[in-house]
Formats: sequence, structure tokens, C-alpha cells
Amino acid sequence: MTGKTVSRRQFLKHAGATAALLGLSEAMIPQLAKALEELAAGKPPVIWIQGQNCTGCSVSFLNSNYPGVADLVLNKLSVRYHPNVMAGTGQTAVEAIDVTLKDMKGKYVLVVEGPVPTKENGDFCTFGLGSGKKSLMGNEVPNDKPIQEWMNELVPGAAAVIANGNCASFGGIPGANSGVTGATPVPKIVAKIDSKKPVVNVGGCPSHPDWFVGTVLEALLFLQGKGKLNLNENNMSKTFFGQLIHENCERRAAFDAGLFLEDWNDQSPDMALCMFKMGCKGPVTYADCPTRRWNSKVNWCVGANGPCHGCASPDFYQLLSPLYKPLPNVNFAGITPAVDTLGWVAAGATAVGVGAHYLYKQLGEKPKESTEGGEK
Amino acid sequence: MAQVISIDPVTRIEGHLRIDVEVEGGVVKDAWSSGTMFRGYEMLIQGKHPWDAQQVMERICGVCPLIHGTAASYALDDATKATLPPNARIIRNLTLGANYLQSHILHFYHLAALDYIDITAVPKYSGSNPALILLKDKISALVAAGDPYPFLPRYESPDYIGAPGGPGDPNLATELVGHYVQALEMRKKAQEMLSIFYGRMPSFVGTIPGGVTQAPNISNIAAFRARLGELAQWVNEVYLQDVLTVAQVPEYEPFLRAGDSGGNYLAYGGFDQDQKGGEKFFPRGTIVNGDVLNVQGFNETKIAESVQYSWYTPDCEGLNPKNGKTDPDLEKKDAYSFIKAPRYEGKPMEVGPLARQLVKKPDALMNLATKLGLLTPPLKFGIIPRHGARVIEAVLLVAEMDKWLDQLVPGEPIWDPKGKEIPDASYGRGLVEGPRGALGHWIQIGDQKTKNYQAVVPTTWNASPRDKDGNKGPIETSLIGIPVPDVDNPINVVRCVRSFDPCIACAIHIIHPEHNGVKEFRVI
Repeated sequence: MTGKTVSRRQFLKHAGATAALLGLSEAMIPQLAKALEELAAGKPPVIWIQGQNCTGCSVSFLNSNYPGVADLVLNKLSVRYHPNVMAGTGQTAVEAIDVTLKDMKGKYVLVVEGPVPTKENGDFCTFGLGSGKKSLMGNEVPNDKPIQEWMNELVPGAAAVIANGNCASFGGIPGANSGVTGATPVPKIVAKIDSKKPVVNVGGCPSHPDWFVGTVLEALLFLQGKGKLNLNENNMSKTFFGQLIHENCERRAAFDAGLFLEDWNDQSPDMALCMFKMGCKGPVTYADCPTRRWNSKVNWCVGANGPCHGCASPDFYQLLSPLYKPLPNVNFAGITPAVDTLGWVAAGATAVGVGAHYLYKQLGEKPKESTEGGEK
Repeated sequence: MAQVISIDPVTRIEGHLRIDVEVEGGVVKDAWSSGTMFRGYEMLIQGKHPWDAQQVMERICGVCPLIHGTAASYALDDATKATLPPNARIIRNLTLGANYLQSHILHFYHLAALDYIDITAVPKYSGSNPALILLKDKISALVAAGDPYPFLPRYESPDYIGAPGGPGDPNLATELVGHYVQALEMRKKAQEMLSIFYGRMPSFVGTIPGGVTQAPNISNIAAFRARLGELAQWVNEVYLQDVLTVAQVPEYEPFLRAGDSGGNYLAYGGFDQDQKGGEKFFPRGTIVNGDVLNVQGFNETKIAESVQYSWYTPDCEGLNPKNGKTDPDLEKKDAYSFIKAPRYEGKPMEVGPLARQLVKKPDALMNLATKLGLLTPPLKFGIIPRHGARVIEAVLLVAEMDKWLDQLVPGEPIWDPKGKEIPDASYGRGLVEGPRGALGHWIQIGDQKTKNYQAVVPTTWNASPRDKDGNKGPIETSLIGIPVPDVDNPINVVRCVRSFDPCIACAIHIIHPEHNGVKEFRVI
């Protein structure tokens, strides 16, 4: 490296700032400093490909703030292939993958955005040119290369695979159409190719840039044997997906007081109302949106009087629909929600244990003391 | 000797696009545009509560979710007969305007600019701007370390700004690369403006049938206006000047007219200025056969979609989107795209900023066109005018949005609760203008559920394949005659394609008008 040399102390400082900004544990700072030091010497190569995606997670990555995206791309990651960012096109773009496959075997991180369709030989999603031929109105041209084939080529040499966003991780919206296209979550595809390959999911539709960047850093530390991956049951980092949105919601007091928004014109500056009756899925969704917030911390869904739609939940969207109807049978034990499963099949059954004031309201009665918390 | 070049992936666009061109004697003789990804979006909301539509449909595309969510809201306003309060109309315009700003900035700098600037000239920077010296050091270090990704490899071309023997010099190239970095922050600020009223971007919660969710107040108006001010200054002082610089590079003079799509333009119009939607800031209209001085009306019944060369069964042919139909058939002979071919009175139509501004003809655009010599015959508008129309839109919007902010009235309604009353049976449509052009959403409600949904998006028009009459799509036509001096580096082909700002995820989707549900879906 030419240019400035950076001292160990500066790396520690830098690592501390990065860890704090991403909400990583302070205990990780020394390891992170070491990792960043190594990154500066040789930035970890990243191959980022897109399946049946919408590019929302890539656009969200561009919204990254502290570290900004320019810092990430210039200083921290060697982005070998990213279809929206890279200069190369066509064969010059594919060349970047070929070189990385050859020179960086076992070292690159494979990021996949969007699920992988498996029906019709994978022809529902292709990029690059295949080894066979096809006819294009009388001209013989190279055929299309399904993303499924790319996965077969890229997974074996990857150090780890990051499924970025809800549809890569769990199928998400295109996954709900798997009957037609065979849209398959990335972890399932990877398991078939190499069952031992580390795969980490980053939920969210889209993923928050901090969730993605932080998960990549955690995975890199883990691969270097310097940290452990603390994952929840859905294979997502507990750093970001460890707590229910409802637990940390800034409007929790309104929920407990039974003050629900029922008309969007009712926006008193005195009290921001709870979105539960407008279908908020915060009580069943694990993510740190209320504290992390979005777009350089400017706002988040509930902050704009929109209900959380549960976009970081593996159940999004099919199992959480109708999105604007209140959750039917969520079990709340007092004010601490304990159960995070739901099923609309039970919608006709009596809701059990939902915040007492909500129940009172449903029954047309008023709680005796509206300023107190929910049923203990 | 003719030769077919296949370019896949076309990067720095949204989605999965393949371009094949037949080159003979150093120019493109024939071209094919193929969308190569299919998901099946609209069927996911069939049988669901109609309010789900905007949340699912905005996720058609992560680059332009704002306009899809907005179009779905207008379709649902229409279906529920809700009347938008003025505050809601204005907030929808302000958020859409902010989305234009982020989208146009992203397009020029992060998607298109690397086709014109030689980033390898940066190490030769000899100026004294401290920020640019830092940039020079960084890029020099990356090149020295053998890690120049993601800026290399690329198509090589002698006419990059700053290239040895090319136009401009390394200092100009470095300045432009510096603006590329600034633009990352600027587009992020535009996303923050959206987030103020709509919660977050991409994918947002702020628009609902009958209105919006966030009332205007002193605090959010001030937060929005502060960012708008920064963007207004940057758009005028940097973005506009950079487009002018590129437009006046002598080497790019052919691109003023090369890349003309055939002279047919369509704009649905957008940014309603009154409660009835009669007056729009960007007006509605069509231009046919290159007669740009004669703007004609628009009648949506004149739209029909051809699938002759698309991977769909023949019974999907020739339908108006209201009754559109889409059954995939991957074995279909001669088909080469998942994109359909919508036509207006049988004509392929270019949509997007150029179409919109040729319909509107604002002074700023006409002055620029005069300056570039575009108003003398032949009236053809190619690659550079598309970038020009985009920046003119940004200039117009930053000025106008400031006035719209003044029209917000805190305390007044933002929502018509009628939007919540779902009729047993109804029909609604939302015709809007997104950053990439004319967008239509159509919804049919039956049994208080979404019975049918259809979206015809800008890139469906622009990137469409041939139709049953053999007419090429606008991008295909625009490529004819594009110079390709070096078949291994077809840079001009992708310069042309990118000038349309294609968004392929949007362009490919599916709808079942008569049969609901996956079970009856037929894949051959």
C-alpha cells in the first residue's frame, strides 16, 4: 500500500468507531481492529450476485452511513462483482468473477440477493453466457447461464455465503411463487452443494445496510477464528435480530395504555399512537429497527405512522397477510410478549392474552385506569 | 461480414438484461433486447386484501419502489372512490419528487458516468483540491496493490474523458470522479427526504389508499426543506454542469442524435397540481413519427401488448393491459424475452424523461436543445439528450418542490377514511410518471379481495422485443447505426442502452385475469 501508513492505535480507534456505529459488542473491538488492519493489507474479496431479486438490498447498501458506501468499497471490501456498481459489462464483468475464482479460492465472500429458481432448468433467472448455443431469430448465439449454474461454480470456493435480504434468506415475496419458478432460498441451494459451507442470513425486505455490513464483519471475524457467530434460530445475527420490535418500540407506552391509531388524521402532537390495530407486526418480528432506525437514523416505519409489516420475519409476506389487519391470536404474557408464532387459521378463535386494554377496547369496554401498564 | 455480439450481463442497470447486436462494417445493423428474469408478482396478491397491493407491488423493484407504491395507491384511491386531501396530494408529489432526485443522480453518476470517465486517469491528478488528492492517493494505492475492483476490468475505449489522447484531461476526470463520490451522499440525502414522510427507503409505509400516513408539521417540513436546499444547490452547481460538460465533449457529438428510438414518445403525466388531477406539473401526451412540435392526446384504450417474441402463450397476444394475460411458455419458437411488447396504436413508444420533457417543452430544455444544435432538422434525440432531459427534470423539481412545501397545511386532513371501505366489486387504475417513465397499475376488486392486478411499467415499453408486426422495441431501434469500432469493446452499445435507465425487474411480471391462483397456472 502506498499513501498514508496507519498505526495500530488508529486501527483500534477506527474499529471502536465501526463497532459502535454498527452496534457490535465492545468486546469485539480488538479483534475488529486486527481484522480491519488485515483488510487494509488485502481487502476481502466479495462476489455479489443477484437471483430473483428487486435490487432493493443493493440500493439499501448504497444508503450505508458510517461506514459510508464509498469507505466500504474503497477501504474495506474488494467488490469484485456487483452488477449495479461495477464498471465492467458483459464478458469484462464475468472476467472479474473468473479471476477471483482462480486467485481467491477459499477466500471470497459470496453474497446472494434474491432466491434461486430451479424449475425449467433454472431458466427463470439467468445472467452471463452459457457454454451451449441457442437460436436468436436465425442467428446462432451463446445460450443463457442460469443463476443455479453460477451457484454450483461459486459456492465451493467461497469462504462463506451471505444470503442478503428476506427473499434470499427465506424466499420472501418471489418465494411465495415457488410453485411456478421453483424459487428456492439460498441456504437450501448451498446445503445441496456443500452442507458444511457457512451460510448466514440477513433478513429484511430490504436488509438494513448495518445488518448486512455488520453480519459480513461478524462472519469474517468468525472465519478468522476471532469471534463466534451468535445466530438466532433463523440463522440471523442476534446482534441485529435478537429482540422483538415490540419490546423496544418507542410507542410501547401507547400500546400499554390502549391508545391505538384508528384514523390517520388523528395525529396529536401530545401522543404518538400505537399501530397495532392498523396491523403492526412488531410483536412477532425480531429486528432492531426501533433503535437502529433507517436512512441515517432519520426515521422508521412506525415513526411515520405506518405499521411494521414484519419484513424481517421469515413469515413475510404470505403468512403475515393481511398486512393491515391486527394480529389475531398473539399471546402476550403481561407486557412481555413470549410467543412469536402466529397463524391466521386461528383468526376466528378468541385472542388470548393480548394487552388487556386492547381486549377491553375490542369488547367495547374501557379499562379502569388507562394510565397503567398492561395486564400483569 | 456480419457478426453477432452477445452482451450479458448488462451491468449498472437494474435487473437482468441481455443485449445481442449484429455488427457489420463497424456499426450495429440489428439488435435484440432480452429480459432474462421472471418471478410472477401480481399473482401473489390475488385473493388477498386489496391494501396488501401497494406493499407487495412496491417491492417489484428496489430502485423504484416509490413510484410503484404510489401507482398502487392511486389505483386503490380510484377503486375505493376516496378523495385525496390536498395535504396528501402534495406529500405524494414531494416524495415522488425526492425519488426523482435520488434516481436521476444515481443514474448519471453511479450507473452511467463510468462509460464516459477514465477512472485510471485519477492517479495523474495534478491539481490542489485536498479531497481529490486523497482520492488520488486511495485509487493509486488500490491500483498499486493490484485490487482496482470494482472499477476494472471494463470495456476499453480511447474516448474516455481523461484517457491518453482522449477528451479532457486527468484533472477533469478526477473532478468528475470526485462528484461521483459526492453524488453517493447526495442521493442518500434524497432517500432521507423520503424517509421523513414515508418511514424508510427502499420500501416504505407512508402512502395508503385515500392518503398518506404522516401529517405535515413544522419539524418534518423543516427537515425536508433543509435537505432540499442542499440538493437544489448541488443539482444546479454540480450535476447540471457535469451533464453540460459531457454533452459538449466533441468526441460525443454523434451521440446527440445517435440512439434515437424512432420518434414516438408517450407520457402519462404526473405531479397533480389540483384535486382533480387535471393540471399536472409534467403533462400527459403523445408524440408520433418524430413530429415533436405536435403533441397529441392520450387514450389508454389504444394500448395493446404483443407477445409474438416473448416467452408467453399465443393467447396472450394483442390484449389491453386491463384484460392482460401472461402464461409463460419457455419453449416458444423465436421468443427471446420475458418482457412483453406494449404498443400504442401499434407503435413502439419511448417513455421516460426525454419523452416527458419533449411533451412539456420547458424553457430550460429548449434552451439546452438549442445550445446543442438539436432543434435543426433532422429532429433526432439520442443518448446525450436523455441525460439532458433527466438533469433538466432535477433542476425543475428542486425549484418547484420548495413551493409545494409552502402549500402544506399542518393540522388539515391527510387521509380520506373512505379509502378503508373496500367495495364488493370495483375497478381502479393509477397512471403516473416514475423517474423511468409512464407507469400504469390496474386493480380489479371482487368479493372485497384483489381479483386481478396488472402493471405496465416504463421498461416494458423501452426494452420490449419485437411485436407481431416485426416492429422493434425502442431500445432495439435506438441501437441501429450505433458505431462499434471494436467488437471486443462495444462501449457505445451499452452507452446507448444505459441512457434509457432500464429497470428489468419491473418490466417482467405476470397476471392472471380469469383464473386466480397458482394451481391453474400453466408452465409448459
